[in-house]
Amino acid sequence: MTDQQWEMLQKTMKGEVLNPFPVGFIIDCPWLPNWYGINILDYFSNDDLWLKANLKALQDFPDVMFFPGFWAEYGMCTEPSAFGARCTFPLNEFPHAHRVIQSVDDIDLLPQPNPKTDGLLPFVLNRLKLTQPKIEAAGHKIRFAVARGPLNIASYLMGSTEFLTTMMMQPEKIESLMKKITKYLKDWLHLQMETFPSIDGIFMLDDIIGFMGEEEFRNFALPYFKELYDANVSVKFLHNDAPCKVSAPLLPEMGVNLFNMGFDITLNELQQLTQHKVTLLGNIPPRDVLASSNAAKVSDTAVRLVNSLQDKSKIIFSCGGGMPPDVSSENITAFVCAVRK
Amino acid sequence: MNELVEKIGQCVERGKVNKSSPYPNDMKGMDGADEFTRQALEAAVGPDAILQVCNEGMQRIGARFSRNEVFVPELLMAAKAMHAVMVHLEPFFKTGSIRAKGKFVLGTVAGDLHDIGKNLVRMVIEGNGWEVIDLGVDVKPAKFLEAIKNTPGCVVGLSALLTTTMVGMSKTVQEIKAQFPATNVIVGGAPLTMEAALKMGADGYSPDPQGAVAFLDKVSVANITQ
Repeated sequence: MTDQQWEMLQKTMKGEVLNPFPVGFIIDCPWLPNWYGINILDYFSNDDLWLKANLKALQDFPDVMFFPGFWAEYGMCTEPSAFGARCTFPLNEFPHAHRVIQSVDDIDLLPQPNPKTDGLLPFVLNRLKLTQPKIEAAGHKIRFAVARGPLNIASYLMGSTEFLTTMMMQPEKIESLMKKITKYLKDWLHLQMETFPSIDGIFMLDDIIGFMGEEEFRNFALPYFKELYDANVSVKFLHNDAPCKVSAPLLPEMGVNLFNMGFDITLNELQQLTQHKVTLLGNIPPRDVLASSNAAKVSDTAVRLVNSLQDKSKIIFSCGGGMPPDVSSENITAFVCAVRK
Repeated sequence: MNELVEKIGQCVERGKVNKSSPYPNDMKGMDGADEFTRQALEAAVGPDAILQVCNEGMQRIGARFSRNEVFVPELLMAAKAMHAVMVHLEPFFKTGSIRAKGKFVLGTVAGDLHDIGKNLVRMVIEGNGWEVIDLGVDVKPAKFLEAIKNTPGCVVGLSALLTTTMVGMSKTVQEIKAQFPATNVIVGGAPLTMEAALKMGADGYSPDPQGAVAFLDKVSVANITQ
């Protein structure tokens, strides 16, 4: 993000209604490589192509804030890899990590990873270090420390069904796992912040939050997210595109001040649930509209979204969730034009 | 005897698997679905009656889930308790004392490792009297096609959690329909809508396991009346 975009973000988060309205999208491996015309494995394994793909998106859509911006990532493999998870990288499909916890007893045996040296994390950091001069020469800065959230990582290490049932059957084991993952993530986020002083935001992605009731959320999510967001940065951004009605009222307590949701809830409803304390990034349907419709339908949906809002403060117009695969430049342009008009 | 059967249904609804399970808190130390089913069978309760009461328990928890009164962990625990019952009833299925309503081939589509939705659907549908062939997660279209070929007359269920894997789901549905046009396909998962499901060529969509049961029952009745 440029200094000007960062300033726009800050103003929006303080409640200023900008003219034109701000537009932003989360972009990463599901969309960027194929949009740029390369396969997903090339995007992950070639610094130059990764940088060029990111720069092209910024050049083609200068009015869009891209989150987190220059995300050095290896999809869902990034964080689990430091625990020793086997990572599968198909040529042009999304990579995935295999579980490492086969039984609850394995939780106690799990190593405490060192983000400086373990798994794919040194690759992430080094890619950013190597490309930082070119990123800055293009007028942008590395603004966010990024990680998958603790519940998301736990579900990858253990399997989501096992994770959620163990939570009910042996809560003490899950507490122990969450503590270990939270320490790891805290180390990882802080390492990114130390390495890049331009970082002034934390961005975490966790959709397992969406499957829990309030009691489980308060016990197994809230304290850990609070600890992770308790850092000296101005933007505390969470993505959860699974259901969010249970967690939304607790976002301010978690420390979250910027939220990207699923498309199954309106921005008006979310403003009420979050007591207007959280800036919202959304909310047109990502697949049915942004990816699969034509530009006219995208434009129409965007206009209806803008007009539906009773309060236009603390809103960044986007889709629910991240940019899905196959979204065309034409549809992005149609969305931006409709919102800014 | 009726009281025993009722208790099985309650255990399923509350997710009380067995005596050693600490969940739910207010039933700690009490017998669960496992023990009550054993006792019921020893008391000569018919397996059909046990299955019926389990279905009612699952329907009650499913309805509460649909109303957002309980969430995925509670539903998973109910399904786990149901599974504890099914272990006892399995021999009756094998001998034909209880007949499966049909065969259901199920999997999470390629590129998606999420198993919550799939497992919930599997357990609820099994409990509803269907034989489920679970292909697991990250299932490529070819594996679905092979399973359909080996399971004539089956219904197919595809699950996805990620918005990104809906593309793969669409491809899978199209390949199934191209090779087995008469096979009914139901899709489900967080990123889906009925509109998206129909667009990809699926015959049905459900946001929850109870909806999948309703779809299967409808399909099953249609097959019988044809």
